[in-house]
Amino acid sequence: MDINGVTFSYDKKLNTLHGVDGTIEPGKITTIIGPNGCGKSTLLGVLSNHHRPQKGEVVLDGKSLTEFKPKELAKRLAVVHQQNNAPSDMTVEKLTAYGRIPYKNLFSSSTKEDEEAVEWALASTNLLDKRKTPIDQLSGGQMQRVWIAMALTQKTPYLFLDEPTTYLDIYYQYELLELIRSLNKQHGITIVMVLHDINQAIQYSDTIIAMKDGKIAVSGAPAEIITADAINEIYGVQVIVKHDEQAGMYIVPVGI
Amino acid sequence: MSWFTKRRLSFIVIIALLAVVFVKSALTGSITVTPFELIQGLLTGTNDDVAIIKDLRFPRILIAVFAGAALSVAGVLLQAVMRNPLADPGIIGVSAGASFMSILLIAVFPTLFFFVPLFAFLGGALAFLLVYSLSWKSGLDPLRMILIGIAVNALFTGLSQAIGFSGGGLTQSMSQVTTSTLTMKKWSDVDVIVLYGSAGIILSFFVYKWCNYLALEDKTSKSLGVNVNLARFVIALIAVLLASVATAVAGMFAFVGLLVPHIGRTLVGNDHKVLIPFSALAGALLILLADTLGRVLIAPNEIPASIIVAVIGGPFLIFLLRKSDRIYGY
Repeated sequence: MDINGVTFSYDKKLNTLHGVDGTIEPGKITTIIGPNGCGKSTLLGVLSNHHRPQKGEVVLDGKSLTEFKPKELAKRLAVVHQQNNAPSDMTVEKLTAYGRIPYKNLFSSSTKEDEEAVEWALASTNLLDKRKTPIDQLSGGQMQRVWIAMALTQKTPYLFLDEPTTYLDIYYQYELLELIRSLNKQHGITIVMVLHDINQAIQYSDTIIAMKDGKIAVSGAPAEIITADAINEIYGVQVIVKHDEQAGMYIVPVGI
Repeated sequence: MSWFTKRRLSFIVIIALLAVVFVKSALTGSITVTPFELIQGLLTGTNDDVAIIKDLRFPRILIAVFAGAALSVAGVLLQAVMRNPLADPGIIGVSAGASFMSILLIAVFPTLFFFVPLFAFLGGALAFLLVYSLSWKSGLDPLRMILIGIAVNALFTGLSQAIGFSGGGLTQSMSQVTTSTLTMKKWSDVDVIVLYGSAGIILSFFVYKWCNYLALEDKTSKSLGVNVNLARFVIALIAVLLASVATAVAGMFAFVGLLVPHIGRTLVGNDHKVLIPFSALAGALLILLADTLGRVLIAPNEIPASIIVAVIGGPFLIFLLRKSDRIYGY
């Protein structure tokens, strides 16, 4: 997936993204980080065709995103949004099966392939025993897994997640990140996500795209781009970059 | 006993009640016949009492049934389109718009009475467009939508009343579209509501999946490849058709499109596959029951069905809301 000179503005006056170039490598985990308002969620929105760039384009499989029909794109690229909603009496299984919408029209009924996709998604997200549970009886972490299960049911090579760990406590945050890593490792799904926590980004990403003021400040492997200078430049925060035998690389903020 | 679920039980009870009230309504009134006489009279056409019942009582029964079903389904559809549990054709001005255009047509071109359903539809669509476009500000805010709906409703109600006051001689012919008594209904009225009402209800069954998808966030549905704008447009069109034709034939019924779907959600859940048919049946039952009670309670005088609906429905809705804190699953 290639990002070519993307400029995007919500109100056509102030550019939220200007001239963003980059590549999303297939089969890898790419994480977008950056301070509030830097345009990271907007970039994810452009990459998933929710926002159409005013200039430039995003190319997937040799074709500009804007040329895809909605359902065609939904078979290649699934998105877990930050805010989600569904009727409280809906069961986990029914909601997960919504991921099959791109493969159906209004009148088609469920096929064996649909059922297999749902089974696989529920198994991958460890929700098989919750399938008949109404979603209002789930915890925050379980609910987030349901949204991921729904995206998996789309059977796409690309999975996008917008701040998937927000509102979760630390256990569920890591449970989710482990799940994302295993989806990448076991099924080769290309992951693109927005994270707030720099250490989680270092720990779980192959590539980090760090943004500032609507531009990519640096991008590359965590070990190469995360330096005290870079973090200070992007966030305005003084950090010490540490290396630990067990924990690997991590940063500790020490002041501003 | 898993077959005997709350959902199935609710359907069985509502169908049984509808059948009972239907028969009771046909038999009771100023002329009373036995079920046997009624069937015999209908088949042979020799009983004068039955002939009167057929001409006067059956039209209003059928109109009550179809108006109730149409208004309730319109409520369900509008709630899906606007993602708002308070959307009701009577509250957000769709019925008032339909009523206003019908009255305007009759006031200006009394001879075009035949086109009342069409103009009602145009009026309903106009009101809906106003509410929808004025309350859209990067998303539909439920509160803003209801407030604008109430304003649009007040506007069209006021305009209708203004026409009523300005044209003295028109009052007679206008009463048909402004009041909700179901008296003096003819078989030609039945034809209109059965034709458009059934068409709308059948169409609504075809789009139940869309209604379900719209309960997700728009972003989520779009990521799934759903054409959200098309879905909204089509569902809204069906809702406006149903609400307008019900208003054109049966008059203004506030509240039904709000009350019945709420009862439906508590009894059969939020899945539109069951919620739409259930609301159709429950709405039919509600208005038919209200009209029948209105006919017999203080005979020979009548209480309009809409008043009975409000009197039964208000407390019942409060009871349901107190009992369950879930509203539209949010």
